[in-house]
Amino acid sequence: MKQDPETRRGSFLSIKTAVVLSIFLIAAGASAFRNDNVPPEEVKISMIDRDSIESVKAFETVYKTLMSPRCMNCHPAGDVPLLGDDSHLHTMGPKRGVDGKGVYAMKCSNCHQETNTPGLHTPPGNPDWHLPPAAMKMVFEGKSAHELAEQLVDKKKNGNKDIKKLIEHADDGLVLAGWNPGEGRTLPPVTHAEFKKAWITWLKTGAYAPKK
Amino acid sequence: MAKVTLNINNKDYPMEADPQMPLLWAIRDLAGLKGTKYGCGVAQCGACVVHLDGEAVRSCVTKVSRAAGKKVVTIEGLSETNSHPVQKAWQEIDVPQCGYCHSGQIMSAAVLLREKPNPTDQDIDDAMAGNICRCGTYLRIRKAIHTAAEMQKKTAAKS
Amino acid sequence: MNKDNTALNRRSFLKASILSGGGMLLTVSWLSGFKSADEAEALNVPEQWARLNGYIHIMPDNKVKLICPNPEFGQNVMTSLPMMLAEELDADWKNVTVEMGPHDPAKLGAQFTGGSNSVRMYWKPLREAGAAARQMLREAAAQTWNVPVGEVTTKAGVLSHPSGKSAKYGEMASKAAKVSVPKELQLKAPKDFTIVRKSKKNVEIQKITSGKPLFGLDYSVDGMLIAMIQHPPAFGMKLKSFDAAETMKMPGIKDVFSVKLYEDGFEQGGFDTRTFNELLVVVGENTWAVMNGRKKLVVDWEAAGDIKDTIGGRGGKREVIVPGALESTTSQMQQMQEYAAKPAQQLRKDGDPESAFNNAAQVIERTYNGPFLAHNCMEPMNFFAHVTDEKALLAGPLQAPGWTEPTLSKLLNLPADKIEIQMTRMGGGFGRRAYGHYLYEAALISRKVKAPVKLMYTREDDMTYGIYRPMYTATYRAALDTNKNLIAFHVRGGGIPEHAIHANRFPAGAVDHYLAEGWQIPSNITIGAFRAPRSNFNAAAEQSFLDEVAEAAGKDPIEFRLELLKRAKENPVGKNNEYDADRYAGVLKLVRDKSNWNKPGNEKYNRGVAAYFCHNSYAAHVVDMVTRDGQPYVERVYSAMDCGIVINPDAATNMVQGAVVDGIGNAFYGALTHKDGAAQQTNFSNYRMIRINEAPKSIEVHFVQNDLDPTGLGEPPFPPVFGAVANALYKNKGKRFYNQPFMGEMDKAI
Repeated sequence: MKQDPETRRGSFLSIKTAVVLSIFLIAAGASAFRNDNVPPEEVKISMIDRDSIESVKAFETVYKTLMSPRCMNCHPAGDVPLLGDDSHLHTMGPKRGVDGKGVYAMKCSNCHQETNTPGLHTPPGNPDWHLPPAAMKMVFEGKSAHELAEQLVDKKKNGNKDIKKLIEHADDGLVLAGWNPGEGRTLPPVTHAEFKKAWITWLKTGAYAPKK
Repeated sequence: MAKVTLNINNKDYPMEADPQMPLLWAIRDLAGLKGTKYGCGVAQCGACVVHLDGEAVRSCVTKVSRAAGKKVVTIEGLSETNSHPVQKAWQEIDVPQCGYCHSGQIMSAAVLLREKPNPTDQDIDDAMAGNICRCGTYLRIRKAIHTAAEMQKKTAAKS
Repeated sequence: MNKDNTALNRRSFLKASILSGGGMLLTVSWLSGFKSADEAEALNVPEQWARLNGYIHIMPDNKVKLICPNPEFGQNVMTSLPMMLAEELDADWKNVTVEMGPHDPAKLGAQFTGGSNSVRMYWKPLREAGAAARQMLREAAAQTWNVPVGEVTTKAGVLSHPSGKSAKYGEMASKAAKVSVPKELQLKAPKDFTIVRKSKKNVEIQKITSGKPLFGLDYSVDGMLIAMIQHPPAFGMKLKSFDAAETMKMPGIKDVFSVKLYEDGFEQGGFDTRTFNELLVVVGENTWAVMNGRKKLVVDWEAAGDIKDTIGGRGGKREVIVPGALESTTSQMQQMQEYAAKPAQQLRKDGDPESAFNNAAQVIERTYNGPFLAHNCMEPMNFFAHVTDEKALLAGPLQAPGWTEPTLSKLLNLPADKIEIQMTRMGGGFGRRAYGHYLYEAALISRKVKAPVKLMYTREDDMTYGIYRPMYTATYRAALDTNKNLIAFHVRGGGIPEHAIHANRFPAGAVDHYLAEGWQIPSNITIGAFRAPRSNFNAAAEQSFLDEVAEAAGKDPIEFRLELLKRAKENPVGKNNEYDADRYAGVLKLVRDKSNWNKPGNEKYNRGVAAYFCHNSYAAHVVDMVTRDGQPYVERVYSAMDCGIVINPDAATNMVQGAVVDGIGNAFYGALTHKDGAAQQTNFSNYRMIRINEAPKSIEVHFVQNDLDPTGLGEPPFPPVFGAVANALYKNKGKRFYNQPFMGEMDKAI
């Protein structure tokens, strides 16, 4: 295992992270992966091929993507989503609600349709448009790379996602919506393929959290 | 163009419409119901709020195709005799100035009261922040929603 | 009695009233509608409406229909003006229905909604109309009962005689219609009012809450087409050429063409402002078809260059060069700084300000800036037109039909009596709909396509090609002597394309040495009335400057103003001071008392005060600010108003509350900026509007109680909100904010 003295503290925390994942692996058992899109050997390899430097490097791409407006805007620190490339508070301040789908007359799907609405400044669309629910807010906004990395693999904070589900999540409809943002909105800094590669690499090399 | 039937206020309206046409224009131009207003066309102002299967959708960005087969209720159909508690409260508090945004305001408030019969000021702000009133009647809107909640409670107690 | 003679006298009086009234546009020509009803008309009107004059119809079943002369844009004139009629008529308000009158200046007067003038201008004529009708009913009863008319009394729609005889108005209406118009009228004393000063509900509230088609966009006739205009992408551009082939292939599209609004040399009226002259028009069967069709247009735009306009109206005919540059906010700011350093036009000078400043113990100088503001009426600009070779019918939201009709008549080459203009309820106005260009556009389009047409602006059209509140700047200087007394005051204001300075307003008259100057920079960005456009900038700048001067003088901001007003009252400087110092002080004292200013119990608030006089009424506000979620939030407001007699108190309160909310919103967020001639804000997504969660929790409104003739409330409560917010923000943030919108400046500061 390559070790960089500079990232010692990060490595220490990353090891803790890896332990959590290992526990999951045992609990889930090999059968859980059989019908998965991800070839089983990859997963197995990923869990044993820890590489803190490669992992942290991959996370750079993951982090800058997740912190881009297209991803972060729906992972706000407060209960109001963010809007625009400058990630200002969503006009009209729609609230998260218990299920993340808004409240009363201000439910997400009252404006956000199943597909993008044509035109500038119109609501982007997705059949499942929502924020993380109140009990699992999955905040990105304001998180350092270190904090976000830890949070992403913490089942108590990531929506109870194990590594398999985390890998699958790269192809989640709402994640993909970031790369189909509607007219006038910038795309995330890398392509979805690049993001997915970095995401899986990060997870497979031990999901190490950067030092900061 | 496609044949589509919209059920608006419990009445079927068969029409020839582009399935991409916003529900707002089907309601106003094709069904001829003018109570639902155009304000921005981009779901920012709430003047066009109607109920689609009970939810306060903004009809300016809701396509006709989404509304087909569902129940649309507009301000004209909120009550038969202008007597929904929200309408009555709006009358009692004399909320409007120009009045243009108020069908949308009333439709939003009706959903709030259904889901939260005793709303706090915070609930009202959370529910109504999607409806712009350019004349600035927001304080009366809050007051009228509280009044409507009281009216609703009394009606429920009687029945 | 001689009917003809009376009518003739009345018409003569009308003439005289015009002559003595001065400003022609605002003179009410009500008395011509007052002609004694001729019998045939009285008998033939449908449903036996007995027509007593232009405003009042009484039915045999005692229903009273009152005609509202002025268009309604939310200021509630459809209720308050008929209340004046009903008061003097002694009608039973329960039996009153109100209808909006068509444009009919001969019968209904100026019919101008704007300048906070409706109530003020109609106060006397409408009461006289009501009193005349009541007098005629009394005459009819007296004749019927064979008693002296002086013994017939009225109350709530009932005529009575001490003998016990009584009749409802409906029973006497037909007979009364034949009675001559009285020569002399007795109007009620305020203490006898039974309708005025009692809150009455909006007469259209039931229609509003049930979604009845009240507004211009709701107006519809069979076979009506929808039209939209594809405007150039920027101020300073014009249409070069277009290819409509793809648009014409779109479903529902009827026609695409260009039309010129004013021919070269056309003499425009003072309110005929238009942004673009060459209009590219798309006409189709319905709104969605036209919206889609527009997207397929292939258009070449080109620089318009300088444009020569001929403007008529008040002040005579003149030629104006509209510069052709593609302006940007940044370049405009630079230009304003350059102009601010140049000599300006002197607007008023008292004493010797130059030496006063030279000899002052302390000089305070501050510069304030305000951006263009878009009206953003909730109902975008639109108008219905059906124009044929013989006549024209127009219907829609319009503040000033009387200014619009003469131009329309010239454009269509139709006499005024062949033009019918109906005013729908307006989804907001704020001054924007005093400019009738969209009506002319609709009329020309209808004439071209030979069909009834509704011209509609989308929100983007409405916002990006507006008649904005101008962009303003002003530099204020105050000189204090060693005793911290204000000895000199200097304001130099400028703007694009006009400055905001009202040279004769407070503190003019209260300072020995006073200088007001103005300069302006021509521009192609179209501007106009906006809820007291100059005042709302002044009240922000001047009132926060005075706050700063009071602080420098070590005085409470209210006491400081009151001292100045005392001076202006007792020993005024100069002539032509526009304001009444007592009434100005009155609202300050009232708001001071009601808000418990400087009293314990308000420590949690950052308090700001401001007062202003404009459009004949006086307003003062105390704004109580807190920090909420890290942001300044106006939680509570106290307002004091002096608008004389308050016609409809609850509706008046509504107006003031709305103005406060509007003022807070515009002070914090309002801004329309340009880049290369193009408006940078296009819709509510990037033009921030105040919303319910940002509105105060309470706005307590108090009116000074007096029996003075009523003045308006549309504008006056609005301007001082800006100043009060600025002053509270200073307390909240510990620094002064000089540039609107304040939220933008705060963002920059962070």
